[in-house]
Amino acid sequence: MNYLLKKENLPKFLELLKKKFDQVIVPVKNETGATCFQPYSGQEIFLEARTDFSAKEFFRPAKEKTFSFKKKNSSYEIKPEYDTAKKVLFGVRPCGTHALNTLDELFIKFFGEDQFYSNKRKNTTIIAFQCNKACENGFCASMGTSKAIGHDLLFIERGNDFFVRAETEKGTSLLDSALFKHTSDSEYSSKINCENELDTEDIEENLFSNFNHSVWKEESERCLSCTSCTQSCPTCYCYTSNDEFVFGSDNESERFRVLDSCQLQRFTKVAGNHLFRPSREGRLRQFVLHKFSYYKKHHCIHLCVGCGRCITACPVKISLVDIANKIQKHSLEESK
Amino acid sequence: MEKKKVKVGFFSLTCCEGCEFAVLDLEEKLLKAFDYLEIVESRVLMEKIKPAAVKLDIAFVEGSVISKHDLDKLNYIREKTDFLVALGSCAAIAGINGIRNSLPEGIQERMRQKAITPVKEKAYPLSSFVKVDYILNGCSVNELEFLDFLNKVLHGVIPKLEEVPVCFECKLKGNACLLLKGILCLGPVTYAGCGALCPSQNAQCIGCRGFTKDANFDSLDNLFKEMKQSKKERFNLFTYFNPLPKELSVLKEEK
Repeated sequence: MNYLLKKENLPKFLELLKKKFDQVIVPVKNETGATCFQPYSGQEIFLEARTDFSAKEFFRPAKEKTFSFKKKNSSYEIKPEYDTAKKVLFGVRPCGTHALNTLDELFIKFFGEDQFYSNKRKNTTIIAFQCNKACENGFCASMGTSKAIGHDLLFIERGNDFFVRAETEKGTSLLDSALFKHTSDSEYSSKINCENELDTEDIEENLFSNFNHSVWKEESERCLSCTSCTQSCPTCYCYTSNDEFVFGSDNESERFRVLDSCQLQRFTKVAGNHLFRPSREGRLRQFVLHKFSYYKKHHCIHLCVGCGRCITACPVKISLVDIANKIQKHSLEESK
Repeated sequence: MEKKKVKVGFFSLTCCEGCEFAVLDLEEKLLKAFDYLEIVESRVLMEKIKPAAVKLDIAFVEGSVISKHDLDKLNYIREKTDFLVALGSCAAIAGINGIRNSLPEGIQERMRQKAITPVKEKAYPLSSFVKVDYILNGCSVNELEFLDFLNKVLHGVIPKLEEVPVCFECKLKGNACLLLKGILCLGPVTYAGCGALCPSQNAQCIGCRGFTKDANFDSLDNLFKEMKQSKKERFNLFTYFNPLPKELSVLKEEK
C-alpha cells in the first residue's frame, strides 16, 4: 500500500510517533554544525543528504552499560542491563539500513544473539528515506546498497509530498492517521549516479594478496590516527570492555562496553605492553582489509556500505576507494 | 566499618594553583571523598598549614620546577611520599611555564637576569628530577578525571593512562571537525581525557594535555601549511604548552 504525506505535515507525524514510542530518532544538525541522529524534541529535521555521523550510536553506543555487580555476603549479584525501550528511527538512508543488516550478521546470526544489540534492534522500527541524488564521496552504487532493505516504512521525496511505502505490518500500523492519503502510484527509482566508483570484483582476494603493496605506506604517511574514519563509519563496531567502581561504595562495580578504534596504537596493546600493530601503515591496512576482505570471508558480505563518511570525515583526505582502486588496477595489470 | 584513611597532600611549585581550585569544583563529591581521605597538607584546602613530617600515601604536586627552591621542595615531597602524582600541565610537561623554553635565547637570558629570585636555565616538569608515579594532565586538570583517579586508587587499582587523542573524544561527542572547517587544532596529537572541552565549544585545541606518543607531527604541520599558516603561527601553536617536537625543528630556524 502506498501513501502520500504532505511535507509540512512531517512534524505532526513525528509528534504522533512520539506518542507511540519511547524515543523518536531523527536526523538533525547539531550546534557544532555536524549532522547526526538525535532524539526528536521539535528540532528542524535534516533531510538534504546523509548525515555526517551514522545512527550507530543507537545500536552500538559509544559507552554502554552491560552489567552491574554487587557483592552480597559471600556471593555476587550480577544484573545485566538490556535496553528494551521502544524506538523508531526516522530518515535513515538506504546505506544505513544496509549497515544494520551487516551488523546483524555478526551480532545476531554468527555467534548467536548478542542481546545488548539485538534487543535494541528488535525494538526499533526503521523508517528509511530514499536518496534521489548522490551524496559527497558516496559509492553506494558500486556496493549495491542504494536500495533500502529490512525497513518498515520507506519515505521518498516527491515535490511537495513524501511518497510513503509500507513494507511490513509494523510499518503499516504507523500510517493509521488522516495525515496519509492513499495513492495508486507505485513507481520509484533508486538509481543513483555516484561520482566515486569502486570495482568490487574479487576485491577480497586482490586486497589480501597485495598485503605488502606500496600504496599502504604512501597513503598512511599522512594519516593522523585521529579515528574520524572509524567513528563516522556506520559499521565499525570494535569495542573494548571497562570495569568501573561505583564511587563511594566498596561492594559495587559496573561493566561498560566502550567503542574503540583500530586506528589507535593502544587498540593492539596486549599484556606486557606489547603492540602487534604499531605502524600506521598496518593500522590503515587493517581498516581497509576488514571492510573488504576479512568480513566478507567470514560473513559473505562486505563490511562497507559505500556511504563515503570516512572519506568526508578525514582531515587529510585519505580515501579507501582510492586505495582499493589502486590495488584493483594493479591486480588487473598483473593478471594480463 | 571504619577504615584507615588515605593520607593525601597537595603541593604547589611555580604555577597559578588553578588545578587545586579545579579539584574544589567537585564540591559535594569531594566532601564524599573525604570519608576515605585525610588531607594532611594543602595551602588552598586548609585554614592553617603546619608542614607535617608524616609519611604521605599520595602527594599531588602542581607547578613546574623553575628554581632551586622548587627543586628542594620537590625532593622533600618525594622523600616522604609513596605515590607522587603530577597535577596539571605545569607539573607534567612544564606547560605555561615552559613557554619561555622556546623563546629566543637572548630573551630567555634577559628574563633570567630580571627574575626576583635566581631561576634555573629552563622551566622543567617534575619528571626531569624525580620519579613521577602518575600524571593527571591538563590546564587546568579535569576534575572528573581527578575523581576517577581517586575512585580507582581508593579501590586499590592504579589506573592506566588512556592513550587516545582528543579527536577520539571529540568524535564521540558528535562534533564537526575544526580542521575541516579550516581552524587550526592540535586535537590529533594531544592526549584526551578532557572530553574534548575546547573543540566542543568551537575553539581550537592548544595541546594542554601533552602530545601523544603516536603523534604524526609532519602530516599535521603539512595540513597547517596547506591552510596557509605562517611558520611563526605554527611554531607558536605547537609550543603553547609543549616543547617543540623534534620532527618540527625546521619551524624554529625562522625568527
